[in-house]
Amino acid sequence: MAVATIARRGFLIASVAIAGGVAFGTWTVRRPADNPLAKGREPGQATFNAWVRIGPDGIVLITPHVDLGQGTTALQSTLIAEEMDLDPGQFTTDPGRPDGAYWNTALAADAVPFRYTDDSIPAEALRDMARSAFKLIGAQVTGGSSTASDSFDKLRHAGAVARETLKAAAAQKTGTDVADLRTESGAVVLKDGTRIAYTDLAGIAAGIDPVKVTKLRDPSEWRLIGHDVPRLDIPAKSTGALTYGIDLTMEGMVHATCRVNPRKGAGMRGFDASRAEGMPGVLHIVTLENGVAVVATNTWYAMQAMKAVRIDWDTAPYPAEQADHWAEVAASFTEERLDSVWRDDGDIPAALNGGAVIETEYRAPYVAHQPLEPLSALVRVTGDRADLWVGHQMPRFVQQRVAKSTGLPESSVHFHNQYVGGSFGHRLEFENIDRAVEVATALKGVPVKLTFTREEDFAQDFPRQIAMARARGVVKDGKVHALDLGIAAASPSRSQAARLGQSIPGPDNQIVAGAWDVPYRLPHHRVTGYAVPGLSPVSSWRSVGASHAGFFADCALDELIHAAGADPLAERLRLIADPVARKVLEAVGEMSDWGAPLGAGQGRGIAFVASFGVPVAEVVEVTMTDRGIRLDRVFVAADVGRVIDPLNFENLVQGGVIWGLGHAINSEITYSDGAAQQTNYHMAEGLRLYQTPEIIVRGLENGTSVRGIGEPPVPPAAPALANAIFAATGQRIREMPFNRHIAFI
Amino acid sequence: MIDLTVNGTQHRVDVSPDMPLLWVLRDELGLTGTKYGCGIAQCGACTVHVEGQAVRSCQLAIGDLSGEVTTIEGLGTPEALHAVQAAWIEHQVAQCGYCQSGQIMQAAALLSVNPAPDDDTIDHAMSANLCRCGTYPRIRAAIHGAAAKLGGA
Amino acid sequence: MKLRPALFLGTILGLASVALADTGGLTVTVPPEGSVPMAEGLAAWDRINEVFTHPRCINCHVDADAVPLWTLMGETATRPHGMNIIGGESRIGAQTLTCSTCHVTSERPNTLPHAPPHANMDWQLAPVEFVWTGRTSSEICAQVRNPDTNGDRDLAGLIEHITHDAEVGGLISWGFNPGGGRDAAPGTLQSHLDDIIAWGIAGMPCPEE
Repeated sequence: MAVATIARRGFLIASVAIAGGVAFGTWTVRRPADNPLAKGREPGQATFNAWVRIGPDGIVLITPHVDLGQGTTALQSTLIAEEMDLDPGQFTTDPGRPDGAYWNTALAADAVPFRYTDDSIPAEALRDMARSAFKLIGAQVTGGSSTASDSFDKLRHAGAVARETLKAAAAQKTGTDVADLRTESGAVVLKDGTRIAYTDLAGIAAGIDPVKVTKLRDPSEWRLIGHDVPRLDIPAKSTGALTYGIDLTMEGMVHATCRVNPRKGAGMRGFDASRAEGMPGVLHIVTLENGVAVVATNTWYAMQAMKAVRIDWDTAPYPAEQADHWAEVAASFTEERLDSVWRDDGDIPAALNGGAVIETEYRAPYVAHQPLEPLSALVRVTGDRADLWVGHQMPRFVQQRVAKSTGLPESSVHFHNQYVGGSFGHRLEFENIDRAVEVATALKGVPVKLTFTREEDFAQDFPRQIAMARARGVVKDGKVHALDLGIAAASPSRSQAARLGQSIPGPDNQIVAGAWDVPYRLPHHRVTGYAVPGLSPVSSWRSVGASHAGFFADCALDELIHAAGADPLAERLRLIADPVARKVLEAVGEMSDWGAPLGAGQGRGIAFVASFGVPVAEVVEVTMTDRGIRLDRVFVAADVGRVIDPLNFENLVQGGVIWGLGHAINSEITYSDGAAQQTNYHMAEGLRLYQTPEIIVRGLENGTSVRGIGEPPVPPAAPALANAIFAATGQRIREMPFNRHIAFI
Repeated sequence: MIDLTVNGTQHRVDVSPDMPLLWVLRDELGLTGTKYGCGIAQCGACTVHVEGQAVRSCQLAIGDLSGEVTTIEGLGTPEALHAVQAAWIEHQVAQCGYCQSGQIMQAAALLSVNPAPDDDTIDHAMSANLCRCGTYPRIRAAIHGAAAKLGGA
Repeated sequence: MKLRPALFLGTILGLASVALADTGGLTVTVPPEGSVPMAEGLAAWDRINEVFTHPRCINCHVDADAVPLWTLMGETATRPHGMNIIGGESRIGAQTLTCSTCHVTSERPNTLPHAPPHANMDWQLAPVEFVWTGRTSSEICAQVRNPDTNGDRDLAGLIEHITHDAEVGGLISWGFNPGGGRDAAPGTLQSHLDDIIAWGIAGMPCPEE
């Protein structure tokens, strides 16, 4: 790609993610981070890096990426254990303290305006700068399906350093040559077969400088990576033994719940808690910045009393009625709201001039996150420290934020990350933390467990961005000739950054992610992003921008392919311009036996979306029955470079498909009187077990970098289903949820 | 004062008889394996057994409780797993795991009346338990697995 | 027709009303035989049919497929019960998911919107013989008046069916007081009982097809 095009994008990576800008020198960036485990080390304990601590009592592997259900604890510990020659059961895991040493090396790379398939010098240079910025601000973040990419080399390296240093300790202890030593199953093994457990070497190892390691093991030597490794958290999750944040208890703890203006960001005019005060179990009524909390001896008492509080709310800072949100989106395809044109191949104006132009419009509504564990937080604030026990994806931001709101120094804010009952982006925000800190501050010294009711969680959810697309296309000689796709969306990056007290310096790549960077080569192809201001606050929802842009782009393409009279798979294969993506399409074609005859009322749809660096193709098979559409089977092929754990991979792909299909079929958030109309799961169900089709999964490993699989299976699901419904019924559905237009059984 | 027996142990609690059994278990007795997910029986995360029958504990007021309660903690322990729990582990069902206490309790109730359920029966018995992570394919497989172990088809 | 002794006594004595100790708070007033003209009986039936075909009642009077129905607040159409719930041959979901798993047995008022309603008896579908969905007023009338298809009940039996429900706080009572913001069946349990009696005394007339 020509260097000149960078200037056209007007994007200076040096200021990304940093308010006020940072000037940094080479040394500042290259200097290795301090090891947070070195502080507070007990006698006899050794730590070689930020991820391994060994003492006579045991081995602790630090797994800073929070486990939301996607198996990051298992993934991180497997990577370390692989190189360190540990077996399951020979270590425990700990999320560790928030620390800049755990900055996410992978997330920054995806924020740059280069396609994931682009490894040119300018692209890599910009990615390097982004990484440097992340390192400097110590951006410890879990998200964007980046744990695998961030951890793959880093944590194996950490395990290897630990192993080599333990060998050096053994050599020192026994007066032997390191070259004569090997490691196995948590021990250093001498030439004569004598085993010395790692825990017995901790004391000596503590006095040795960590050994430098430059080479990691060959895949042929792997015991764990690439194999099914039973996740260590699953037994506790199957016996009720694992505690989530919402389950924690503490001496002297009180239970609270809150209600804050469902017109997000608006204030409270007044309230009357007189009926609540005398109710059973009520201890305190606490005034919040824009709401009220009730503190009681039991969560249920708090929830009952909360219902009895009458609150007078301010009006919403965005349109009160859903129709006006759509009107604003529809009115955003303007020069004034232009956000990006990151794809502009060929000559679209010429291509669209004088041909038969096919015009289509698509919609994606607000959708809620609503993981099954409701928002909660256990917080204790005293005069000189604050402790928080809650699951969160940005521990350092929590620390900074709470330091600011309490006036305490960051070092006095202690954040204890927890296993999380699902996130899908929900644990990137701070509503539960802010409210719990407010209450805990009011009750200084008393531990407060604040639990949102499900209704309050629905009300406070920052939904997936609302979006619309307008496509214009031309077909020629049985092929897709031109596609001009305009996408207008509320801007999730800007909305989230604003809540972090920051702004983004350039366009929001999430408005067009999955559409602008799709690895097709069309003669004429333009993707324009428009940012819609002034709507509901929005946030990252599993697969973020690709969740709407992937749907728009693939549906628009599918309609053009049909107009051209071409085969949906064959034409996508003809257009694909990346060999790794090609193999993914070929695989799903083979898996689904594309082209094999189907019965009456049956239809197959295919979709391809690449997001987070992972190309994914899905085929959905449906049957149109007399009562509605039945989902029969789904085939998924995805390339992540390296499938680290095949079982977990399959589980996450199936889960992502179910997430995508369910919301596409029946979920949306609509505003009325400024608040979400959907109050609980009966109004936003997602997919249920009986509707779940068989989902056949294949992981490919042709990509050159290791990628994560948490989000990539989501974007192709909705378009594949829409395309399948078209094949089965002739009906094109261009907006989600699909059940506005057709019934599902 | 209200007396109740949970997992074979007798308890006495001093709460409003309106309090759902769910919150007696979680906040009064500290048995947090039973989860709060929705409060309106749309998710099933709160499922326990009363006299062996599955019940959504968010709907049953403690004053209406009649019979012994079994929670996930009482169904089986890591040392002595119930066949359903063993199947859940063998099939690596859980992702976030928050729904799984309720899923397991419901599956165990199903197998106690129907030792060899077919897919259709499983669909009718388990679809009121919501899983946002989408572990449904493995739940089906684990129920078949548990049925096989328990001697069903 | 057969009459229970107390009612028989009341009729013989021509008492204006008989309040029996075990009528669950309802007043049972049986007018003398022959005192209710056909037209009044048919009008009473119309009101009875309005109750029977109201969603709070008819949604569980379904056929052998045993799929309960939902007519939910905020929705415009009746649809099958969500979550793939069926009553099965047992009519209480015993082979799959028992109704009372969610619809607990309780005499507490239904105060929680969108939660599964409860009554003070095992939540259940009506027996398959009492299917009313897809039936005309005449067909329902024919089913309800015939002891072969109404659970072997004469007028006294139908009255007792209602008074017993009132005593326990069962499903019929619930239909008139469903709570949680739900639309109630028209009238009250008392007015419904009065209509049943009037219709009965009028000879259980059914409308023309």
